[in-house]
Amino acid sequence: MLGLFGTLDLASRSLQTQQQGMSVASHNLANATNPTYSRQRVVIQTSVTIPTPFGVEGTGANVVRIEQIRSALLDSQIQNEAGVTGYWLAQQTAYESAQSALGEQVNRTGDATVVGEVNGLADSISDLFNSFQALTTDPSSLSQRQTVLDTAQQLALRFNQATQRLDNLRTGLNASLTADAAKANELLGDIAALNDQISLAELMSGGGPANDLRDLRQQKIEELSQLVRVDTAEQPNGAVNVSIDGALLVSNNQVLDTLATYDAGGGQLLIQTATGGTPLTPTSGSIAGTIDARDNVLATLSNDLDTLAAQLISEVNAIHQNGFSLTGSTGAAFFTGANAHDIGVNAALVNDPRLLQISDTAGEAGNNTMALQLAQLASQPQAALGNQTFRERYSQIVTGLGQTLASVNGQIADQEIVAGMLEQQRQSVSGVSVDEEMANLVKFQRAFQASARVVTTVDEMLETIINMKR
Amino acid sequence: MRVTFDSMPNTLVQRLGVLSDRLSRLQIQVATGQRIQVASDDPSAMRRVLDMEGEAKTLTQYQDNIARLQNQATASYSVMSGLQRISNRIGEIVTLADDMKSPQELQIYAGEVSQLIQQAVQIANTKGENGYLFSGTATDTAPFALSLDANGNVTGVTYQGNTNTAPVEIADGNQLSAAPVGANISGSGPFGLVTDTRTGADFFAHMISLQNHLLAGDTAAIRSTDQPALAADEQHLIYQIAANGGLQSRLDAVESIGESRLDALNEMISHDADADLAQTLVRLSQTQTAYEAALKSTATILNTSLLDYLH
Repeated sequence: MLGLFGTLDLASRSLQTQQQGMSVASHNLANATNPTYSRQRVVIQTSVTIPTPFGVEGTGANVVRIEQIRSALLDSQIQNEAGVTGYWLAQQTAYESAQSALGEQVNRTGDATVVGEVNGLADSISDLFNSFQALTTDPSSLSQRQTVLDTAQQLALRFNQATQRLDNLRTGLNASLTADAAKANELLGDIAALNDQISLAELMSGGGPANDLRDLRQQKIEELSQLVRVDTAEQPNGAVNVSIDGALLVSNNQVLDTLATYDAGGGQLLIQTATGGTPLTPTSGSIAGTIDARDNVLATLSNDLDTLAAQLISEVNAIHQNGFSLTGSTGAAFFTGANAHDIGVNAALVNDPRLLQISDTAGEAGNNTMALQLAQLASQPQAALGNQTFRERYSQIVTGLGQTLASVNGQIADQEIVAGMLEQQRQSVSGVSVDEEMANLVKFQRAFQASARVVTTVDEMLETIINMKR
Repeated sequence: MRVTFDSMPNTLVQRLGVLSDRLSRLQIQVATGQRIQVASDDPSAMRRVLDMEGEAKTLTQYQDNIARLQNQATASYSVMSGLQRISNRIGEIVTLADDMKSPQELQIYAGEVSQLIQQAVQIANTKGENGYLFSGTATDTAPFALSLDANGNVTGVTYQGNTNTAPVEIADGNQLSAAPVGANISGSGPFGLVTDTRTGADFFAHMISLQNHLLAGDTAAIRSTDQPALAADEQHLIYQIAANGGLQSRLDAVESIGESRLDALNEMISHDADADLAQTLVRLSQTQTAYEAALKSTATILNTSLLDYLH
């Protein structure tokens, strides 16, 4: 039997237990709006029992631990989905920029000539061939010749600008890779430091989990997963080892290696381990998304524009060089350059439109043979362009990119739903409910009040006993 | 499912994000009247719009080409009409120059024929928008050069142009040239306006012959040689005028077909690119209502908590 002093001890421990409960509920309430926080709860267990002649007697309750309510499965799923989201978002950003770089936009409210207009290269390609058509009606006209040259310059400029913007985008994506690698290194450092703190805190608390530090570390791991896919392995001391593409980068409280970009040739930045120099091939996260977008869709886009411009230069020059100008000269190229980056119009022609070679016979001012052939290029399928005309090929390039971006937008919409549902599930498990915590507060408050009443009752009883001998 | 403090605000934020995005897109559609702006809005529709815009631009250029050819054809017709008037007067002179006329009268007719030849050369050397109308592709060279003797009589008219034409495209794979060449003695290629070996036409040479026979008072030769030759020349001119009429009809027909196709393209582009305003406005209104409902319902729920009942 406990006796009055034992009961007093019991009540005293109960007060501490309820205080602990109040403290945890308050901590939960304080973190109700903290998105990385997982709710905690006190685990109360009955104290050691005492055998008595009347049976086993309880001695109250103790707090055995404060536990964190979180699902490792959901954490792992969210971590993986963070990588997928990062991958698609990086691609979306890249493709949206590429679409802007092409500048192809339908404008039905603009200064429409007949049925509206499409701003961009498509318009310029049509304009060039139409200017050749117009020239066939008046081959000796200097103003028509000037129009052809102006239109060609406009087209060349648009090719130059589009590829220049794509080159700038590529440079921007490389910079983004470098920034992502630096951010990942910072997070690896944070995780190692938190590993150190967690293992120390848990050692000092006799194995109890360092909940808040674990929340923080999980947040860092998820942030890292957005950048690059990571594999984690929890160690017995509470630390988490982090590997990327098989390379162990964080072991316990040590950062074994970091990420660094390297030039794989031609300004193509890739990722490797900084010290070991091991090339890494991440499969998800924004780093993988950026590399994929840059080296596949955007590289193809740039090459396609170069091929289109190269074919245009070659076909137009082949016809133009065989023609004769108004001054009788022949053999001059119409376009200069070799691709979309450097395409330009022969400066000699720009300076003197008479030198445009559109007659197939010297000395025939009204001969439009070459202009007609140049105009007819508009509708001729080109083998080098997949048997498509110049405009058809460009339309395919534009809509191909549009299709890719639309598909990525769809993936992101799906991804937002998946990530949202997982986050909602995690909230449901780990989130703080204010109502729940307030109810707990009331519960602990009442239990505290009851325990306090036990103390005063025991005190009164002791006083009664003490006063018995008077 | 356990609903936590963050559950509803998070859901609200997510829903508001989706609804704001939809509102923004619908608002742009209403403001611009367009369903698609860029390729990613609807790639297959964008492809169709790009192709149709390209076709429309080409058709518009063909319409411009047709307009230029119509101008040339009209100018050519004026020349032909002028030459026909001269041919008619020459025919009258041939009829008038019979055996009853004195040598002096025949000399006067010869002088008139000489003037008519010079007038015909002047008309045939008419310039159009692109240079001389009837010198083939040598548009910077006058097609006919006149030679006179000391008495002012015409001794010869030489064709200085060539027999090449500059065809212009008026529809896909459909080319036309509006003005004939001045003369063609090669026996192939485009018909010459006043001289062509295939029909025996040689208007200037036959008029010069008439002039010379009038000067010589050789009425017999006029009847036997000049009259049938000039009649053939007139037939040739009539053929050229008829061909010009045919050309103009063809141009009108192609122009009309082009206009119809442009209208059809406009409609098809509108179908792909333009927003259905009524439908878009209804969807905008629906989305706006959903946005307000999300805000109101969440605000109402969030306002109520256990705290209201604890004292």
